[in-house]
This record gives sequence, structure tokens and C-alpha cells, in this order.
Amino acid sequence: MVQEKIHFEPFSQEPIRLIDEQGHWVAPFAHGLPPETLRRFYRDMLAARLLDEKLVLLIRTGKTSFIAPHAGHEAAQVGIAHALQKGHDWLFPYYRDMGLVLALGVPLVEIFGQTLGTAADPAKARQMPSHPGSKKLNVFTVCSAIASHIPPATGAAIGMKLRRTGQVAVCTFGDGATSEGDWHAGVNFAAVQRAPVVFICENNRYAISVNIRQQTASANIAIKARAYGIPGYYADGLDVLASYFVVRWALEQARTGAGPSLVELVVHRFGAHSSADDDSRYRSREELAAERQQDPLLRYQRFLEQQGLWDAQWANELRLEIAKELEAALQEALKAGEPNPLEMFDDVYAACPWHLEEQRRLLAEELA
Amino acid sequence: MPIMTMIQAIQSALDEEMNRDERVMLLGEDVGKRGGVFLATEGLQEKYGPERVIDTPLSEAAIIGAAVGLAAHGMRPVAEIQFADYVFPGIDQLFSQAAKLRYRSGGQFTAPMVVRMPTGGGVKGGHHHSQSPEAHFAHTPGLKVVVVSTPYDTKGLLKAAIRDDDPVVFMEPKRLYRAIKEEVPADEYLLPIGKAAIRRPGRDLTLVSYGGPMVEVQKAAEEMAAASIEAEVIDLRTVMPWDKETVLASAAKTGRLLVVSEAPRTASLASEVVATVSEELFDQLLAPPLRVCGFDTPYPLAQDKLYMPTVTRILNAAKRLLEY
Repeated sequence: MVQEKIHFEPFSQEPIRLIDEQGHWVAPFAHGLPPETLRRFYRDMLAARLLDEKLVLLIRTGKTSFIAPHAGHEAAQVGIAHALQKGHDWLFPYYRDMGLVLALGVPLVEIFGQTLGTAADPAKARQMPSHPGSKKLNVFTVCSAIASHIPPATGAAIGMKLRRTGQVAVCTFGDGATSEGDWHAGVNFAAVQRAPVVFICENNRYAISVNIRQQTASANIAIKARAYGIPGYYADGLDVLASYFVVRWALEQARTGAGPSLVELVVHRFGAHSSADDDSRYRSREELAAERQQDPLLRYQRFLEQQGLWDAQWANELRLEIAKELEAALQEALKAGEPNPLEMFDDVYAACPWHLEEQRRLLAEELA
Repeated sequence: MPIMTMIQAIQSALDEEMNRDERVMLLGEDVGKRGGVFLATEGLQEKYGPERVIDTPLSEAAIIGAAVGLAAHGMRPVAEIQFADYVFPGIDQLFSQAAKLRYRSGGQFTAPMVVRMPTGGGVKGGHHHSQSPEAHFAHTPGLKVVVVSTPYDTKGLLKAAIRDDDPVVFMEPKRLYRAIKEEVPADEYLLPIGKAAIRRPGRDLTLVSYGGPMVEVQKAAEEMAAASIEAEVIDLRTVMPWDKETVLASAAKTGRLLVVSEAPRTASLASEVVATVSEELFDQLLAPPLRVCGFDTPYPLAQDKLYMPTVTRILNAAKRLLEY
């Protein structure tokens, strides 16, 4: 059956999937996206993958202290980035969203500045790597505390509704976050207020080592929405177009006053939890190898090939172009140098109170 | 000039600020229709509507966390926590989000918000309606902490807190809500956050306190005056950042310092003031500075009046200072 309008039903038994493993378009509607958009998605996914590889390299060469690899999440993250209105809607990301913030337009030099803790970080190198943010792009600076950004996303959305700005808040998190009290607090309040917020779980089925079956007895994450009286969409996060269209649908609903929704994008985590983790202690290499066969980039490549939009030469050129951009941005971030240590005392408050002035003087004397 | 209680001063401050600035809004449990369990927000939902005065679900994390998002997006939220004792489910929002948002984003995002809460004992509330948790907040860089003791200060400081660009924890000693009535201007005035008030000038010793125990401290000072001992009484009003200048000037003059607080003594604000004065004025002090605080127990019910600093305990400590 062919649908005239693109819409989705909540609470499907199986994940919503628009492209199958072989790259066939299996949706009951035409995607209607121009070739340049389809290719842009591929470019952004590839850039996300190459960024991940570059970050792993920075860890292996001792140039940075931490990363949270996002490989396996690229389709979900690029789908989300393209579904929201860049610079208008707000994004409340979590620490595994480097591919998402990159696709949204956060400059690579800022990403590397944050990763390396140099003066190129607009947040002044105060947080560990994988904690981006951008006021310009309405990307709410990542906070390590799991699910602590859910109630603020709800609050911002209440403000958007109150001031009738036509914006939507998009809030992403992992599967482990859904067990936190603040997750419940934020989703419940948003639902009661019918606030324009889309909650998106990038479900890779692991919270560090804890498998989803130890995390929740719910059949899936999306179904939790039922208890809050909001729709829950269960989708294949390895399928960039499923991610894009489902999130776009949820955003349209929120924007037109239908209130919040919960979107679950099922993904794989190809890396360990972080550079400080050894995932061989808790998941088999066979399981991981099988998941790697379901690479989101490969599936989308097959789809593009069938559309006549992908060939090896184009992909190779793209790869080289992105690699060059990554290296240039990395060098620029390095060149920015270390931030001034006395900036440590800025931004605790709008104005520096006496006790911090005293402490700044103390450090200045030590450094003199 | 109208005569107001602390509760009326809060109502007046909120009303004036909401009237002045459309971005100012209220959220909390029972703050709308009910007007708050202490009636601090009475009539405001009727006047400003349910969008600007939100009755929230029973969740401190939702209240404080939503205030963070509202503030970051451009509103000026005033959140009410029903009792300071119940702020703890919202602490991750206050400590991890509100307090650190400006810092972690390098000044890109800010959380100009007020979290009001009734604090302290004296209402037969047992240990979950009586605590004084200000030291937790003051120990968290990024938060400002105000503890009021008079209706006049309450209005001026609450208005200033709402206009402040940083998150302010605004603590209201619930036993003083209706205990004191005084003249409070009906028109606009602001009081500076971070500035103490000298309630009574004196030359013999310095009494520093804030919040609920200001009543007992002033009674003790009056009794001392009857015996020709002149205590200088300082009300800190803001405990983060506290007014070191005023305290040092007074302690340098009198040479004797007593700090009174009803919060547990160990690791308290009183300890911080004593440590600072000891560090900076060691040579000028005539006696070791002392503290009279709540005991280091959970807040008890039956021993309520004995737990909080009594006039007797304040006078005994003052005597020790004077006879040293």
C-alpha cells in the first residue's frame, strides 16, 4: 500500500525500517529526497566514521585523555541532525554524540579543541573530551551526569511553548539513561505540559558493560512512552533514512502542538564504552563481529548504489577530502595552544566574587 | 508604608517582578491554585495565568531541572521547593546542571534562576521539615546562597536574586514567615547580594549570624547591653559569597568573634567564617573565635528548642570570649 503522506504509527512490534540489509527501499512511501541530500547524508556518515577513527588514533598516540567512540551510531546521528532545523531547534546531546554535533555543523576545529583541551575549545577546555556544546547552534553543552539533561530539555521546551517560538528541543541519550530518576522526571513533566520536545534513545544495548536485559524488563525502550501518555516510536537506527524520517515526524508533531514523543533508534556500539573501557571483558568478539557485518554505512552505500548515486571513485575522493579536513582542523586546534590557566576562575559566576579573586591572585603568584 | 510579614514580602517581590518582566515565572508543587503550602505565591496564578505559574508534578528534579532549561532558553524562573529538606532529589539538577552550566560551557549558556525554599527548624517538623542545608549549596561553586531574616530584606533580596545572572538559592526561615512584621516599602527597591547588615553597633564583641537564629542573637545582644556589654551584631544575609569585609572590620575592632548558626557545626558556614577570621586577624584577636551551632545530629523533634542555638548558649559563649 502506498502512503500519500509520510507518517508513522507508534508502538510497532518491529523496528521501523525503510532500507533493508541489502539496501532496498522497503517503505510504503516515496522518500522524495533530492540526490544531493541523499549524498549529503552519506558524506556526513562517512565524516562521522572518519572522525571516530581519528579520535581513536589520538587516544592510541597519547594525544588525548578520553573518548567515547560513536562508530555504529552514525546513521542515527546523521538522521537526527538533518531532521531538526539547524540553529533554530535546540539539541540536548549526550557524550556519545560527536557524529551528531558534527553533522549539525559544530566546526571540526572546535571538536578537536574540546578533545585536546586547547584554547580552540569555545567552552575553554574545562570538561573532559566528548563533551561538546555550541551556543551559536543551540547545542546545550554536554554534562557527564547521565540523564541530567532530560529535565533541562523539558524546561527549554516549556519556554519554547510559552514564548511561541516554533522551536523544538531534541534530547538524546543512551539506553542506560532511561533507568535514571531524572529521565522519568523530565519525560513525565514534558508529557504533562505537552512541551515540544523529542526524546531520542540511541539504544546500543550496552551501558558500559550492562546489557539491556539487565537494564530494563520492558520489551523495548519506545514502549516506555505508553506509561507517560505520549507516542513511542521504535526504529532501526542503523538505517539513516528511517532515523531521519521518524525523527522528522516526531519533530513535526511537537512543532504543531501535539506534544512530546519518545523515539528509540536501535544501533550498535562498535567500540568499547570509552577509551577507559575494555569491552572484551563482557561481550564476545563473535557478537561484535556479527554486529560489524551490519555496518550502517555499508547498508546506506548499497542503497545509494541502487539509486545510481554511489561509486567507489566518488567515495574515495570524499574520503580523502574529509581526511584532509580532519587533519587541518586538528592542526588548527593544536596551534591554538593551552588556555590561560588563570581563566580557571572565569565563568563560575557572571562576575568574579572576592574569594575567587583571592584564589586567582594566589595562583598568579605561584605561576609568576 | 505597609506593614508586612516575610510571606507578604515574598508575595510582593514576586508580584512586582512578574509585573515588571514577562520572563519571570514560577514553578513548583502547589504554587498555583493552592498558592504554595505557606501561601508565598497566593493569587499569582490567578493574576498571571497557568503558563507563568506552573503547578508541577511532585518532583524536585523536574522543578529544578526544568528551571535550568527555562533559564538557559531565556526565561527567569523562580522555582519553589516545598521544604529545603526535600531538595535532595533535585540536587543533581542544582549541582551538576544549574551550578556548572556557565562554567562547563565557557560562558555560552547560563542559568539565571532562583530556587526558593523554606529552611530551618522551630515548627515541630522533625528532621525532614527542619534542616538547614545551606552549607551543601555554599560548597558548590556556581551557586549563590541567600538566607534572609527580615521582611524588608526578603523583598529587596528576592528581587535582586531574580535579576541576578547566576543561580541563587534563596532560603527562607519558615519559623520567621509570620513571626516578624515590619514596614516594607510598597515601591521598588533592591538590596545587594553578598552584603551583610550591621543590626546593632558595638565595641566589645562581634556576633555574626544569619537566618532563623538572628532572633536569638539579637535577644542575647539586648541582654548583654543590659549588663553594659556592647555586642556588634552582623546579619550575613548572603552566605555565598559572604561579606568578609564587614565581618573582618568588626572583628578587628572588637577582637572577639562568635558565629551563630542553627546548621550542624562540623564543616559549616560558621566554621568557614571562624577559619577566615583566624587566618586574617590572628594577631588582633583577644580570644579564640567561637561557634554556637546546631548539634551534629539529625534534627530532633522533641528536643527542637534545645537543638537550635538558645539565648543561654549564646550568652555562655559570649562570656567565654569576654573572660578569656
